[in-house]
Amino acid sequence: MSAASVDLCIVGGGSFGSALALVVAGRGRRVRMWVRRQEQADEINREHTNKPYLEQRRLPDEVSATCDMQEAVAGTPVVLMAVPSKSFREVARSVGEHIRGDQVLVHATKGIEVPTFSRMTQILREETCALKIGVLSGPNLAAELVQGHPSGAVIASRYDEVVRSVQALFAGAHLRVYGGRDVVGVEFAGAFKNIIAIAAGVADGFGFGDNARSLVITRGLSEMALMGSSLGGDVFTFGGLAGVGDLVATCNSKLSRNHQVGERLAQGQDLDTILRGLRFVAEGVPTTDAVHRRAASIGLRLPICEAVHSVLFQGCSATSAMQMLMTLPVGDELSALRYR
Amino acid sequence: MAVRLTVASSRDVMRQRFSDGWVRGVDRKDKERVQIEVVQRVLDAVGAEPHRVEQAIFDTLYEERRRLETEPEGPVRSEQAAFYDRVHSATLHADARTQRELLREIIRRFTEEVTGHFDPRVYALATRVAPTGLNLLLNAMSPIKLLEAIQGGSSDLEEQFEVTGHVQEVTKLAKIGTLVVVPTHSSNLDSILMGYAIWRLGLPPHLYGAGLNLFSNKTIGFFMHNLGAYKVDRRKKAEVYKNVLKTYAGCSMELGYHNLFFPGGTRSRSGGVEQRLKMGLLGMGLDAYVHNLMARKARPDIFVVPCTINYELVLEAETLIDDYLKEAGKARYIIEDDEFSKPKIILDFVKKLFSLNSKIHVVVGHPLDVFGNRVDADGTSRDHRGRPVDRTRYVVKNGAPAFDEQRDEEFTRELAQVIVQSYRRYTMAKTTNVLCRVVFQWLREKSQGQDLYRMLRTGGPEESIPVPEAYERVDRMLRALRGLATRDRILLDQPLREYDVPALVNYALAHLSSYHRRPAVQRRGDRLFHIDRNLIFYYQNRLECHATDLAAESS
Repeated sequence: MSAASVDLCIVGGGSFGSALALVVAGRGRRVRMWVRRQEQADEINREHTNKPYLEQRRLPDEVSATCDMQEAVAGTPVVLMAVPSKSFREVARSVGEHIRGDQVLVHATKGIEVPTFSRMTQILREETCALKIGVLSGPNLAAELVQGHPSGAVIASRYDEVVRSVQALFAGAHLRVYGGRDVVGVEFAGAFKNIIAIAAGVADGFGFGDNARSLVITRGLSEMALMGSSLGGDVFTFGGLAGVGDLVATCNSKLSRNHQVGERLAQGQDLDTILRGLRFVAEGVPTTDAVHRRAASIGLRLPICEAVHSVLFQGCSATSAMQMLMTLPVGDELSALRYR
Repeated sequence: MAVRLTVASSRDVMRQRFSDGWVRGVDRKDKERVQIEVVQRVLDAVGAEPHRVEQAIFDTLYEERRRLETEPEGPVRSEQAAFYDRVHSATLHADARTQRELLREIIRRFTEEVTGHFDPRVYALATRVAPTGLNLLLNAMSPIKLLEAIQGGSSDLEEQFEVTGHVQEVTKLAKIGTLVVVPTHSSNLDSILMGYAIWRLGLPPHLYGAGLNLFSNKTIGFFMHNLGAYKVDRRKKAEVYKNVLKTYAGCSMELGYHNLFFPGGTRSRSGGVEQRLKMGLLGMGLDAYVHNLMARKARPDIFVVPCTINYELVLEAETLIDDYLKEAGKARYIIEDDEFSKPKIILDFVKKLFSLNSKIHVVVGHPLDVFGNRVDADGTSRDHRGRPVDRTRYVVKNGAPAFDEQRDEEFTRELAQVIVQSYRRYTMAKTTNVLCRVVFQWLREKSQGQDLYRMLRTGGPEESIPVPEAYERVDRMLRALRGLATRDRILLDQPLREYDVPALVNYALAHLSSYHRRPAVQRRGDRLFHIDRNLIFYYQNRLECHATDLAAESS
């Protein structure tokens, strides 16, 4: 399959990248994946499987894989990056060696670069020459996408062409992709919900039930909207798929890695042990650190984020963090947003 | 990356001009070609649908008649009023085809007004006989003439006026593409100084749209016209007129005429460096580039050159800040009765500046392509990592260069962001900015709880700051600024780089108490008194775009 005949290049062979490849190729579109390891590429090309992430699920014949970034990226109309935020810049720089100005470059990474507090699209601008950039986000648990269950996402970009191109790739699929312009809001919501998912996991780990989880979700949403809008996001974005949509899915799902981190924290495990035991990256952990620092620097009070940070990085127990949250003075529910 | 502080001297420029012999000839047909093209493109932009044509005519009639109501009686007004009356009655009874012709007539009239006095032959002559032609212009413009007269020769003028930054790249790029120079704008003197700077760089005169007040002197007006300035009547609000201006700039770029305009749209009222730019005219660079690519021109490239113009004192500071602080000021886009309209004030200003040994700095930023990528001296676009970029790819659609209105608007927005960053990075802080910022912050601290307007009006509870405290605060700010300067976040004028704090404060005070009607800050004994707080606010605003950086650096 030559690059010119490929409809979509997915950079990253993890669970979400593989799930997206499955969805797009399932509609007859040709997908080329860039993966780090040659064995993984060989497995995808020969066996049409990606067992570490998709178990026995077979990938369509339209999916191919390569470890050669040039082969993956050059000439492909749309390039979609799905790699963890920690390695995002390094991989983006490599993409930047081969991408050209007419190509569309989007990502589906829900995180923040900790040292710089950069969003992923900002990294794409710094590391590539691409201008037609966007972000794909929403309640899209990889395992459910793979099973073919109905799902929704949003593609946000300042460029109509980016929105149209990505929507066209998913046209007719069980993943309905809506368009949007608010790149900042969508990216921030995608990153921030992972912090709240950890808190929801803690509540579930304590066995508090649906009321408590709902409390965490709605107060978490309020914190997301407060900080997201102060960074330039549109407050309505947080009521959409990338905001409350993703938040509800992640906080209610046992499949969410960040939720799992929270549950184990409630069980008294320490962070190092939890992270060693996880097969995949939990983006919520570094994001909590990045968001906590930025919120402090701009003078925003985000109680749930602070509580999660105290448990993850300050040696506070989940029990005392929960107590601290429950003893905070209560005020008007929407005052932080309404009277900004 | 450090700025290359290359100072272009006029003698070098003259030598280069004549030895290279590279001054481009001007096609005599250009004027007619541009006029025809502008009329057609503006007409096309309105569209062919009869209701849109009719709407454009009536919008123009409405705006023009409103403007005429404020015009003084006279033959010009009568002629224009008669023209619009005729168009009005004809439109009411005309079919779609005739209405389109009437609109064409309106557009042609605007186009001729904008381009009318430009004579390619005079332009060509002026560029070939440079510097004689330029000298005529400069002599016609009293400030420059005065500068030379006061200082007794151009060599002194050169010492008072520096053009630094990415000068060499720009002079090279001018030979392989078309330049669009986009400076910051704080004074009407900017146009004249930029004209002088361009000459000093050894470049042909640039086309630029100048407000009517710059043409008030007939001699100046004649030369401004023929050296590229075209008349912009900001009182004309009709969309069609604005499109004529934009399209004229774009068409001239396509023909290879270098352009200059102030993307902030008007002089900065607050004294701050522009943070928001007008997209319309800025977008014409991309428009011209795509047209050139589509026409497969041999030299399609358009290079954007951000510049900052940095003064220790600003001629119109009092009027501008007054306008900024008045709520009604928002509507007062055109100021015709400011300091620039009074030659004696200009004379005083220039005399003061020069007697204080004050320098005016034009800093040329890194040249950019129309997408905001940096461009090397050989014309290669580079990404943030310094890798070459094939800029032609950005506008490719289905395998060929093509327009896409939404995409192109976003490209221009990206370019504007990079220009704003360039302004910030190439702003040269002056001592007046630093002292005023220190005094202003002290005032804010002392009058906590008061809103800005009240504080500016009353001055807060204390009328003076002890000199030792001022020194300490200046020292702190200076250290922060020097820290930023070493990391290429800002440029510092020589006194800020080299003077000790007392000398620097004296230098700033000498300026602040010399030209303006009232001193901004004045020393009496061992205290500094805040006198004209509006001016203090104005001069400190220049550093406002570095506020976050300064706060981080200080902490």
